[in-house]
Amino acid sequence: MPRTPPHHYASKVRKPAELDSFWDGVLEQAAAIPLNAKTALNRLRSPADVETFEVHYDSLDGVRIAGWYCLPRERSKKLPAMLTVPGYLGEPPIPLDWARKGYAVFSIAPRGKLRSNEQFNPGYPGLLTHNITDRNTYGYKGFYVDAMRGVDYLLTRDEVDVRRIGVVGSSQGGGLAIVVAAMRPEIAAASAGAPYLCGFIDAIGLTTTYPYQEINDYLRLHPDSRKEVEETLAYFDGMSFAERITCPIVVNIGLQDNICPPETGYEVFNRISSEDKRLYTYDRHAHDAGSHEHSQIIDAFFSRHLNL
Amino acid sequence: MADNKPEDFEQYWGDTLGELAAFPARPEVEAVPMRDTDFATAYGVHFTGLGSYRLFAYLSIPKGEGPFPALYYTAGYGSVVTPIPQGASNDIRSRYVTFSIAARGSRNADKPYAASFPGLLTDGIENRATYRLRDIAADCVRGLEVLIARPEVDTSRIVLIGADMALLTAGLASGASHVVAEPVLLYKTMELAETTKAYPLQEINDYLRLHKKAKTVIARTLSYFDVRSHAPGIEVTTLLKAGPAHSATDKLKLASLTTAISGPVTVHESENSGYKDGLFADNWVSSQLGFYAPILPEHWR
Repeated sequence: MPRTPPHHYASKVRKPAELDSFWDGVLEQAAAIPLNAKTALNRLRSPADVETFEVHYDSLDGVRIAGWYCLPRERSKKLPAMLTVPGYLGEPPIPLDWARKGYAVFSIAPRGKLRSNEQFNPGYPGLLTHNITDRNTYGYKGFYVDAMRGVDYLLTRDEVDVRRIGVVGSSQGGGLAIVVAAMRPEIAAASAGAPYLCGFIDAIGLTTTYPYQEINDYLRLHPDSRKEVEETLAYFDGMSFAERITCPIVVNIGLQDNICPPETGYEVFNRISSEDKRLYTYDRHAHDAGSHEHSQIIDAFFSRHLNL
Repeated sequence: MADNKPEDFEQYWGDTLGELAAFPARPEVEAVPMRDTDFATAYGVHFTGLGSYRLFAYLSIPKGEGPFPALYYTAGYGSVVTPIPQGASNDIRSRYVTFSIAARGSRNADKPYAASFPGLLTDGIENRATYRLRDIAADCVRGLEVLIARPEVDTSRIVLIGADMALLTAGLASGASHVVAEPVLLYKTMELAETTKAYPLQEINDYLRLHKKAKTVIARTLSYFDVRSHAPGIEVTTLLKAGPAHSATDKLKLASLTTAISGPVTVHESENSGYKDGLFADNWVSSQLGFYAPILPEHWR
């Protein structure tokens, strides 16, 4: 049977009535934890034009989170800032490229990533279903908070113009960009590529590829937990957060994306409240979501909105 | 042929593989029911590599009567190893034995040694005897030995898949029938590092900035790993995934590698599309192994 065209797909995700109160409670809990940030120059990773710092800060449950902070060496006034959020499998890169463009840039490693995995390490596969039957213990609760607190780190930096902070990511980074843009009013512009963590319950019926396949694996072994799993995931679904986004945002998707199905990309975009939003669709592209061509669009978008 | 192939290249790798042979693999296989499907059974395999280091691999075996062709995912450049690559249809496990190795330093094989990213590319690089990639190449060879020993595997149809390590494994060990590989780090490493500011090759630039006098010695170490030097030993049918046109590893620039490979070679130049490039590779593997059509993920059908 032919598939429904992705832009006609109707998502099963419903925003939970208690979403806001749940996250208000989580963020209240997080706010009580001092950031306790440490920033140390890393000479080995600091080329002639960029200074690279290793950063560590505290997050929910006392988990120590790592990140790479890069600054252009030539800077005379306050800088626009970028928060880069990582994909599911890869390690957060040292973002020399963004610093070279003129941004103060912070690349975070949420819990479970290398350098942030001493206290929390569910593995891959594993993270997506870690403690998935309870929203209060689900692995992504702390993971999302770790990402949001990346903004708090940027706010502590004297060289950052706090009115010009962006967030950018692709795949899991695309999903995190949506969550951070929704939850942190300091975000002035956002770019989300091939957003993962959006439409979990849709995706497991649309694709048999990992990482979403982890949920199918889990439900195959624990069929009686389906209701709890679906309840939990709704509290972490980018579609539930999307209507809170009001900043300018660009989203790009691949129409043959076999990892984050385009159906979910259309749906999350439709739910974003921003007046200034644009969806870029790339036919005959998979999870790359047209990145080769789209990277220039992202650069121009942030340059315009963060007054680079 | 590489212009930097060391005179004692065969000796170096002969010694390495001789050393490996002294450590029996001693595989332990355990069920991983979480990753089972209706059509395949999942296992975790622990086995020994060079220096008594315990390695790991995810193994999946189709249900039904074998033997089955096998896809061996060799070590890539990152800490995470998954049962099958992200984006591949899980249904491929109904047709193929899949084997995905966690070489030393990667998750599930990161005790006592946990690799850093960035960092691995230059770990121990000033001494070719202790360079970490030597151990990892030997780990990939050991993985092939473990896979071949499985009775469910059709040993006439084993595909090595990955990046540089797939090529090194094909050059160093016999037993595979095909290789699908994208040279990314071990092709003219020193030369290409000078033309980039992006990781992982940037690791070389970082290292040289702090260790200026080390250039000659690390070039010497890397010459033992250059895929062009391993190419004459690659006698299997090969799909070489080149970079996009006008990149440092486009089809034209890879010519010195392509012509040095002993077996038949197909070169596919990237079209900057995971879909187009993936479709080409999946079709190639499927047809090479004698199947009418590949098993594609839903959004590629």
